[in-house]
Amino acid sequence: MLVVALLCTGCQFVQSAFANTAGNAGAALAAASTTLTYAHSGKITDAYAASSFINFQSELDGLDQKLPSTQGAPSGHAIQRLLDLYKTAIRAVDAPCLTASCDWRGQVAALDRASKAFLEASNS
Amino acid sequence: MKTLLSIALGVVTAIGGFLDAGTVATAGEAGAKFGLGLVWAILLSTVAIVLLVEMTGRFAAVSKKTYASAIRENFGIKFYLLPLASEVIAESILLTAEIGGMAIAISLITGISWHVLFPVAVLLVFASAWRAPFSWIENGPALLGLVTLSFIAGIVALGGPQRDLLPTLWQPPIQQGGMADYLYLIAATLGATISPYMLYFYSSGAREEGWSTRSLLLNRVTAIVGMGFGCIGSLAIVLLSAMVLRPLNMTANTLGEIGLAMAKAFGPVGAMLFAIALFATCFGAALEVVLAVSYNIAQGFGWEWSEDKKPVEAARFNLVIILFLLVAVLISLLGIDPLQLALFASTVIALFLPISLFPFLVLMNDRQYLGDKINGRLINIAMLCILFIAFVVAIVSLPLEIVSGGG
Amino acid sequence: MPRERDDVFSIRDILDSQLETSDQRKIGRVADIEAEWRGENLYLTSLLVGPQALAKRINGPLHALLRALFRDRFDSAIPMRDVKEFGPTLQLRRKASEYPIGRSDRWIADHLLRWIPGSGHR
Repeated sequence: MLVVALLCTGCQFVQSAFANTAGNAGAALAAASTTLTYAHSGKITDAYAASSFINFQSELDGLDQKLPSTQGAPSGHAIQRLLDLYKTAIRAVDAPCLTASCDWRGQVAALDRASKAFLEASNS
Repeated sequence: MKTLLSIALGVVTAIGGFLDAGTVATAGEAGAKFGLGLVWAILLSTVAIVLLVEMTGRFAAVSKKTYASAIRENFGIKFYLLPLASEVIAESILLTAEIGGMAIAISLITGISWHVLFPVAVLLVFASAWRAPFSWIENGPALLGLVTLSFIAGIVALGGPQRDLLPTLWQPPIQQGGMADYLYLIAATLGATISPYMLYFYSSGAREEGWSTRSLLLNRVTAIVGMGFGCIGSLAIVLLSAMVLRPLNMTANTLGEIGLAMAKAFGPVGAMLFAIALFATCFGAALEVVLAVSYNIAQGFGWEWSEDKKPVEAARFNLVIILFLLVAVLISLLGIDPLQLALFASTVIALFLPISLFPFLVLMNDRQYLGDKINGRLINIAMLCILFIAFVVAIVSLPLEIVSGGG
Repeated sequence: MPRERDDVFSIRDILDSQLETSDQRKIGRVADIEAEWRGENLYLTSLLVGPQALAKRINGPLHALLRALFRDRFDSAIPMRDVKEFGPTLQLRRKASEYPIGRSDRWIADHLLRWIPGSGHR
């Protein structure tokens, strides 16, 4: 009985699973972006950035498999756009550019775009 | 002069006891997600733990018994098993989180994966519990943990909180569907701060150091000042997260993110200070947790126990330490991120608080143990209220968090 | 310590009390008590220690399980006359090595802990 009551009040208390997942992904992407930017502006060491990215990878890897089937997920065009942005961004997460010789700015841009989209999706 | 030193040491230890993976995790997420909207929960928890630590010291000093011994002797074996079971479950998870926090801290400094560093951290905890005398265990990591106070310098260096942050103190920015998260963090904050393992650890420590009724005033001062300082450290993390992480849409889902705020203030030095603080507080807490459970079991079953004895002189006690660390290693194989594990452990602790603390409240009112030093009515009422809040919040938020797919 | 005791001890006082040997070693707690009727009086004859005795107080099926597993190997009885002093801690007359349960720490030290450096094993 208590569980039923909880679940009912939970209807307004909780986000859909999709909103939750998308929100977390957006936040993780934002963190990855900030970490990469800080690494290149000398605010953190490469070691700090590298080990941070290991954690972001755990958070974000496999999301493209999980997301479409999550409860509350949009379909068609909306989900496809998210997955496309994810594909570009996850390359940056899995292999962050920590030296000057690769396109770290491009990676930051991709992470920001994906982050923004996921956060918007979780709020809608 | 000697009293001043004792007070200083007690304060240092209390700071270390307050801050750990749980409090860092909850403070970091609280600031990033809800600005200053959880400060009230931190203040409430601080009041509770000050009361609790003072009571624990008073109990051990006057009755000359440890908490676990008193439960077994006063309530019998059958009842003793209940708080024991809840402690073993909750602290196993928390221990894994603390060691994970140590591993993450070392990884942030070295760049090596924390999964690889986890066994290293376990060995470090084991070596200290195995050979280090009690005074080192109590004071060593805590002294290093003073680095936490540099967080306040970080806040100053960043120019203090933005003006629009202040209203979040009384109006937490809870979005549509964010209530479950908010409740979950309240429960986690309460559980992270009001840690029953401290009861077992401090009452044993008081016996290890031979406290008596003469130590009561010292106990009271160190409880208030020490936990107060710890609270300030925790609030500093909330502020830093609120100031730096929240505007950038980060939610502090990983421990490394929390350090970015210090990085913004002081560059790589700031990030390093955060990593050191994280390591020291998690290390101290890991030691306290593993010893707390081992003290609990050894005292409850009447075995030899003491950190000042050689391992072979208290064999069963030390065997439990080893087994408990092995349990942590097993749990770590699940690969759960230490921050998330710390949050979860803290919420479980909040849920179990009535089981863990109710025997203590009964004992604190027992004249056979405390003579005329039993609790006043106000303290009893305050503690009951806090227990009630913790339990209700935990039991509401845990199912919600699971239903919504985890935080 | 603010605790007054008469000379009459209730079984409840003795149960779960700490056992300490003559060489100041803590060996365990009283798990159960054996008593027998002599005429009209109930005499406490021995203190029982060990997992089975403990299990009996907790739960019937648990006791049966432990009895099948351990077959009385870890349980022993300490005669009441071995108690030198009654109190929150029961002081025993003999040394730890003279009680089976007092040997458990030694066994673990000799067979398990010795392999770990720094154990203090000689």
